[in-house]
Amino acid sequence: MEPFPSSVIAQKTWELENNIITVDPPPSSTPPAPTTTATATTTSPDPASDAIFCYDESAQAKFQQEKPWANDPHYFKRVKISALALLKMVVHARSGGTIEVMGLMQGKTDGDAIIVMDAFALPVEGTETRVNAQADAYEYMVDYSQTNKQAGRLENVVGWYHSHPGYGCWLSGIDVSTQMLNQQFQEPFLAVVIDPTRTVSAGKVEIGAFRTYPEGYKPPDEPVSEYQTIPLNKIEDFGVHCKQYYSLDITYFKSSLDCHLLDLLWNKYWVNTLSSSPLLGNGDYVAGQISDLAEKLEQAENQLSHSRFGPLIAPPPRKKEEESQLAKITRDSAKITVEQVHGLMSQVIKDILFNSVRQSNRSSSEPSGPEPMIET
Amino acid sequence: MASSSTSSSGLTFKLHPLVIVNISDHYTRVKSQMQQPSSNSNSNSSSNSNSNSNDSVYGCVIGVQRGRTVEIFNSFELLYDESTHSLDRTFLEKKQELYKKVFPHFYILGWYSTGTDAHESDMLIHKALMDINESPVYVLLNPSINHAQKDLPVTIYESEMHVIDGNPQLIFVRSSYTIETVEAERISVDHVAHLKPSDGGSAATQLAAHLTGIHSAIKMLNSRIRVLHHYLLAMQKGDIPCENALLRQVSSLLRRLPAIESEKFQDDFLMEYNDTLLITYLAMFTNCSSTMNELVDKFNTAYDRHSRRGGRTAF
Repeated sequence: MEPFPSSVIAQKTWELENNIITVDPPPSSTPPAPTTTATATTTSPDPASDAIFCYDESAQAKFQQEKPWANDPHYFKRVKISALALLKMVVHARSGGTIEVMGLMQGKTDGDAIIVMDAFALPVEGTETRVNAQADAYEYMVDYSQTNKQAGRLENVVGWYHSHPGYGCWLSGIDVSTQMLNQQFQEPFLAVVIDPTRTVSAGKVEIGAFRTYPEGYKPPDEPVSEYQTIPLNKIEDFGVHCKQYYSLDITYFKSSLDCHLLDLLWNKYWVNTLSSSPLLGNGDYVAGQISDLAEKLEQAENQLSHSRFGPLIAPPPRKKEEESQLAKITRDSAKITVEQVHGLMSQVIKDILFNSVRQSNRSSSEPSGPEPMIET
Repeated sequence: MASSSTSSSGLTFKLHPLVIVNISDHYTRVKSQMQQPSSNSNSNSSSNSNSNSNDSVYGCVIGVQRGRTVEIFNSFELLYDESTHSLDRTFLEKKQELYKKVFPHFYILGWYSTGTDAHESDMLIHKALMDINESPVYVLLNPSINHAQKDLPVTIYESEMHVIDGNPQLIFVRSSYTIETVEAERISVDHVAHLKPSDGGSAATQLAAHLTGIHSAIKMLNSRIRVLHHYLLAMQKGDIPCENALLRQVSSLLRRLPAIESEKFQDDFLMEYNDTLLITYLAMFTNCSSTMNELVDKFNTAYDRHSRRGGRTAF
């Protein structure tokens, strides 16, 4: 099968946009195998990308000794998550429903990147109410790590993950305290937050990786990362602590066998893609979002009406804040709408595909679908 | 001995993609560790990573069995003892305990391995597991990457008692399976498989991503229908003998369209449609009022400088 030129162009564009760097083959270990980036004609698996799966114990031990992160709180900047770890974390987070669940991640470090190879769940619930929920699961952790080492997974624990079902990827006050504790005693350690509800609603994975700054450290002003809406009852917690941690860039990787299998999986998977109905599954969540938005709007309205009575007295910054409050609300509403419209588009397409067999005589009642009217 | 006959037990198997990725990761890990023996001082001394010259890895699959449906959710690795051709029992039990704590609903359904075909020695392992589950399944993944192959190299075997040469023997028989998934799993598999852009992007890129996904799915549907169409045309022309069973299946498939056609469905559908339009309308409203607000504020700021009256000025 020859690759279609347009898909190659599209892939190249996407790769450029997302700064994909193909892993360079280390000169010593791998046999010379000419590989091109992911065309259908490669016949041998790319040994280079699989090199990441080797665990070099001595190099890791050396790195632990050196502790380069002790001097620079902003040392680790990137996270690489394996396909397996991501899948396991998302499935576990989703299985918890509306309850927060947590687990640990195993992996290693690589310069300024933390690599997550695998993840496993911990039998602990309700992690948002106490700082050291991990203490309950110490025994489990030890047992599991032991069995893993026996079975050939040599990596150590490099972080923990937990879920925020429906309220976004950020660290709450409790999370920040937990992570600070971890970063004191278990370096290098990473915190990952997953929102399974928003993942399903938006159709893309909602995940964030964070590290806290040590106590008293004043971070340089950094640009705000991707904006996300926080429900009203959590927004205070978010605001108080959002300056105490920074987020890391996440990239994903998979082995060549994974690539191959996932490609083939698509042959069976397309049925699920077509048959998924996000509108039906997410009704509750969307309703919750809209009512939350309504409350925020009321709040913004109250603030606005106060300022009307004293434009000379009220300092300009406050006005700017209300404006940005309203702008935030607008952005939130746009996001909800876009997701809804996408869901509806799927429904309409399915309707046309499977239902309009006998409608060919009369003019079809549904046109190709409403175009999103909101441009951000 | 693996036979190519199909299983007659009537069980339907559902496999989750997580299991496939698990097995693939296990295999890749062990293989890459074996390629770098110098850096791993203690892993080579243990039996598992060097035990099999044919690079097989072994593990256990867990899941749920409801009636006639067997759903395989997850899997974990096991130790294989080359000398006795069996899996380490204590290890299995320990791991099972750990997994029970986190996933209390899952039971051991069988075991997995990598390789090209089921062997006689696998039957020993299979029999050993029969005391945990009276009819375990054997999931075999073929790790060799063959780009000509269009189908998933995963086969599920069951064991059946067949009489061969007068002796009742257990042999492996193949079973068919479907890939089952939950929505979250599907999205993350999609994400990793096609590496969709992970950040928000603009509304345009989100729309493009969403539609591309649906488009590829529809393309697959189209190609499958074409294959059927082609086949039927050939049958009509007389190139291939008429196969009545297939014709019956196709006819019943076609009779299922239109999928739903009732008053109630139309009503619900239109209501959903209207709800979405209403949300869009409200969002536009919010957008407009926000813009208006900004305009008013800017106007006020511009005018305030000229008048000294407090409170409302031009507005």
